[in-house]
Amino acid sequence: MKRTIFAAMAGALMLSASTVVANAGTVAVSWKTFQEERWKTDEAAIKAVVEAAGHSYVSTDAQGSAQKQAADIEGLIAQKPDVIMIVAFDSDAILPSIQKISDAGIKSIAYDVQFEDPNALYITFDNVGVGRLMAKTMLEKGKTEGNFAFIKGDKGDPNATFLFEGITEVLKENMDAGKIKNVCETFTDGWKPDNAQKNMEQCLTANNNKIDAVVSENDGMAGGVVAALEAQGLAGAVPVTGQDGDKAALNRVALGTQLVSVWKDSRVLGKMAAEAAVALIGGTAMDALPGSAKFSGGKKKVEMNSILIPPNPITKDNLGDVIDGGWISKDEACAGVAAGSVPACG
Amino acid sequence: MTDASSTSVNPAMVQESAVARFIRSTELDTRVLGMVAAIIAVWCIFDIWGYLRLPAGTDSLGGLFGGAFLTPRNLWTLTVQTSSIAIMATGMVLVIVTRQIDLSVGAMLTLVANVAAVLQVQHLAPALGVGHWSIWIIAVIVALVLGAAVGAFNGYLIAFLGIPSFIVTLGGLIAYARGISFYISEGVTIAPLDKSFKVLGGGVPASWLGPFWSWSLALAACALIILGIVMGRRQRMRFKFPLRPVWAEVFLAGLGSAIVLGATLIVNSYAWPPRLIEQYAVANKIPIPPGIEDKDGAAICMAADKIVRCAEGYVLYTGYAIPVLLALVVGLVMSFISTRTLFGRYVYAIGGNPEAAELAGINTKMMTVKVFTLMGILVAISAIVSSSRLDAATVSLGDLNELYVIAAAVIGGTSLAGGLGTIYGAMLGALMMQSITSGMLLLNLPSPWQAIVVGGVLVTAVYLDQIYRRRAK
Repeated sequence: MKRTIFAAMAGALMLSASTVVANAGTVAVSWKTFQEERWKTDEAAIKAVVEAAGHSYVSTDAQGSAQKQAADIEGLIAQKPDVIMIVAFDSDAILPSIQKISDAGIKSIAYDVQFEDPNALYITFDNVGVGRLMAKTMLEKGKTEGNFAFIKGDKGDPNATFLFEGITEVLKENMDAGKIKNVCETFTDGWKPDNAQKNMEQCLTANNNKIDAVVSENDGMAGGVVAALEAQGLAGAVPVTGQDGDKAALNRVALGTQLVSVWKDSRVLGKMAAEAAVALIGGTAMDALPGSAKFSGGKKKVEMNSILIPPNPITKDNLGDVIDGGWISKDEACAGVAAGSVPACG
Repeated sequence: MTDASSTSVNPAMVQESAVARFIRSTELDTRVLGMVAAIIAVWCIFDIWGYLRLPAGTDSLGGLFGGAFLTPRNLWTLTVQTSSIAIMATGMVLVIVTRQIDLSVGAMLTLVANVAAVLQVQHLAPALGVGHWSIWIIAVIVALVLGAAVGAFNGYLIAFLGIPSFIVTLGGLIAYARGISFYISEGVTIAPLDKSFKVLGGGVPASWLGPFWSWSLALAACALIILGIVMGRRQRMRFKFPLRPVWAEVFLAGLGSAIVLGATLIVNSYAWPPRLIEQYAVANKIPIPPGIEDKDGAAICMAADKIVRCAEGYVLYTGYAIPVLLALVVGLVMSFISTRTLFGRYVYAIGGNPEAAELAGINTKMMTVKVFTLMGILVAISAIVSSSRLDAATVSLGDLNELYVIAAAVIGGTSLAGGLGTIYGAMLGALMMQSITSGMLLLNLPSPWQAIVVGGVLVTAVYLDQIYRRRAK
């Protein structure tokens, strides 16, 4: 019985494969490393879309080496795929390889990490947007006025400054009107939670606890901030922002001690990139892809076609998104949450 | 001790000044006096600076000079913030005195904290039930054993395999945190920790001793100081050592007691944050006088979106925090070990001249293992303190701690050439560094300045120390 079903399924599969074989293409991906767990998540999302469209998927792992990645790409070009997606290990060293891809008439996609080649499509999360989203959520669901503390990331990391630009852009109006007062603004060495805790403790002392909201640039630091607030009995009363969708942070969102964790779901990124690749195989032009726009915000200001995906701000109200998406289990997200206080926790 | 022997043969004693005579009679360590003076000066500067920066017409921030630094609250927080580094610095002194170095303390702290956190959150809590009384005890024991084991392993590689400590612990620095800890925690922040475990970090009401026990402890400490001075005098009489004049003994007893009582007075005048008093009062059904809901009331009670009830008239004081007590106890025990035990003597003997120590029959290899094991245990205590304080373990928890610990020891007068260094000096060094960082944060100065000043202080402190040592000769 089992065998007949198996045979029937195999037959059906072969049949479906043969029907799409006419326009079947190949999507190749050059990953920078599989040492970090997240890329496996991205790969699964890409593979699912590519194979569902009847195309085939090949990939290489550069194992954290720019030299190996260059060799990988040469190998991929030899297999004549239609599209090569690249997670560049080194965004400058990769450029000659990208040139070779273009010369071979193959389309290239810069996945998550930018390299500046005008022929490539750049797909990533809107990183400046993360800062804007934090501030926007703060205004919509947290505080619109009062004493604000800004816990920024490491001063050596340009992202800390990008984020802050996005944050101040949104808060500017209220700041200029004198509604929001910037009472503490500090970089946090190494984005370390324990440093953020010390920064927040000193901020609370200096302002005699008169802090109405805290804009922390990521979830780890938000953890330190909440610990400092807790020691003053203020956790839950002062809204705190964050990003990354850390499990501990999502639990804090459920508990009400953190307002928002801006979440960049790598599966969404993978899905969007794979759909773009499929569309490119189908003959759609890069600038005609849905969501495509010109981007020239890189180091060398090279103009590229790009798709910037808006991240998802996770608050109490949409905590279900991360649970339903399988990013965190309900037990982990809702640990210690009082029944009925958060919709997603029941 | 060396000071006493060198001054007693000084033929110019008759012409010495009153100050010199005072210092000789009381046998106070002038180096420590210098450090304490420097720390107090830094505190005063920050407090005055804080006041001067206030816009004209605003009230003082409550500090001695009107700033926010010399307030009970800030001094209390400062000591809690210092405790983790101070605990490790006491061990680093012995490591450096034996002419070794331990670069792996920060990474080891991360490792121990992550193992203890994963154990309590992912294994003990599901098995025993969340909040079970034994969870924190098991976690603490495992942390201490793991710390000792990793320290002993470092020591073994250094002593018996002959790999330089710089290399062994550099390897540890790379492997323990980013490697093993990442593997154990999968790079995820482990939080929240066990409720009882959190008491060890000083962030919750249960981790404060309260005024009654703080005063009791202070009185016991004063009694011990006086007892110690009396016993010390008897010992000297028995062995016919030169005695301190009676007035000097009385002065020392008075000074010691005054420091203890003063510190206790300060921690006992830090009131619980109003919101915590409210929560406590509500939980224990203590009636609270109705609060004033105008702007004045807000000045005391407002800390959140709305003024619910102001706990005016009902005040609780914190007293000593557990991590600070832990650091003080560690400091006392380590001082005792380093100055009053055979082990301590051997440590300084090895540091002074390793070859001579070995020829004198000291098992220097075992001593190295022991010193590193002790370091590992102290790192475990710090790991417990810092993870429970943050209420989380992360893979970056101990990053750069090795440098702060070494800097504390060196600012405190530990010589990198070995053989010299005191426990209390290193603890004061840690307090000095944290004072500067905290003070600059209070003033909301740009953080690049903090890095520049802390780096500058390190180099200046060592330079001043060199001058002092040269003049002392």
